[in-house]
Amino acid sequence: MILANLYNKVLGFFRQTEKDAEESSKDTACNRLRVVLMQDRTNLTPELMERMRRELVELLSKYVEMDKDALELNLEQDGDQVALMLSIPVIRAKDEEEIKAALDAEDEKEEETSEEESDEASEEDADNEQNLDDEKASDENSEAEETPEDEPEKSDDNKETGK
Amino acid sequence: MSGRVIVITSGKGGVGKTTTNANIGTALARAGKKVVMIDTDLGLRNLDLLLGLENRIVYTIVDVVEERCKLKQALVKDKKNPNLCLLAAAQTRDKSAVTEEQLKDICEKLQKDFDFILVDCPAGIEQGFQNAVAGASEAIVVTTPEMSAVRDADRIIGLLEAKEEIKSYKLLINRVRPNLIKSNDMMSVDDVVEILSADLIGIIPEDTGIITSTNKGEPIVNDEKSLAGKAYNNVARRIIGEDVPFLNLEEPQGVMAKIKKFFSGLTGKEK
Repeated sequence: MILANLYNKVLGFFRQTEKDAEESSKDTACNRLRVVLMQDRTNLTPELMERMRRELVELLSKYVEMDKDALELNLEQDGDQVALMLSIPVIRAKDEEEIKAALDAEDEKEEETSEEESDEASEEDADNEQNLDDEKASDENSEAEETPEDEPEKSDDNKETGK
Repeated sequence: MSGRVIVITSGKGGVGKTTTNANIGTALARAGKKVVMIDTDLGLRNLDLLLGLENRIVYTIVDVVEERCKLKQALVKDKKNPNLCLLAAAQTRDKSAVTEEQLKDICEKLQKDFDFILVDCPAGIEQGFQNAVAGASEAIVVTTPEMSAVRDADRIIGLLEAKEEIKSYKLLINRVRPNLIKSNDMMSVDDVVEILSADLIGIIPEDTGIITSTNKGEPIVNDEKSLAGKAYNNVARRIIGEDVPFLNLEEPQGVMAKIKKFFSGLTGKEK
């Protein structure tokens, strides 16, 4: 009896390590279910999630250089709460000039599009359009404020990685 | 007397709604409660078979609704337990033969004479489900540790949460196989509870006895030795309000089972 128990324990140990190597079918089921239930509950299809992922890559690339393909975006459940989990593998921090260049390019693009939009906009929409422009302007301001604060931190990071 | 109306539902078919209904109803009646079960699966009735009452049905719920008989006339008494009654579904009609309002009305009338009204819900989320839920204030969601059943249960829970009349719902996990869970080939009870984040009211082990009990038209709760029967009895006690711990399905029961386990350990060695 004792021997058999001992044997089972040893066997169990080896089985455990074998199973650890590849995901058990139960874990696969749990993970697949979590993903599919999040889609069911939030109405976010895989296409929409992929689009959200692409847009986030675009946005974040301005500030850090990252492994674009490895960026993971998942909906996760913690009790009753649903959380959007974003995991970004950062390859290296961008230096201040790169960030500035990216932001300037962005600003130019925005100005161009807003000019185009206001040209196309009919008189009725003029008021709305103006409000949008105001919002954009305040966004630009806040970005301008943030960049100088960020710069020293980023350059510190660079130094550290340099060592 | 104002009885509790509990709908037993699942979304997916074949997870054991009707079996659960028959066993919880029988267990509650054995505990001295007055119980009536309503089969709302019009066109696909089965609750009568599980209770062994298929030959005693004279009137159905459709006859009541269409006023061919009085409600009391349509209630079929159980063979063994006078506390237990069945209001059978019509086999020749479809789900549109009874409306939500009519079912609500029947439930309200039955509440005066019974402690528990158990409503057996058809599979799916269409009109049949809407009808079954209409008169209920509590729900038991039956699922199994399988992906499709859990997904459908999640859908049902979402629909139940949107219903104001449903004050509470509980999860019953059926056909649990401890061996498969042990070898990580089946989701555990904890996994399912976590994924659905719902309160648990019962864990029922897979039991071949369910098949033979269905064959005989005799709910398994009448078999004192059956583990599934014990588990269903515990569910009934929890419904009444007793604090009953969940059965430990991991360890085999009894001396014979232990000897069997010992030998299976030995044979496992040779492989």
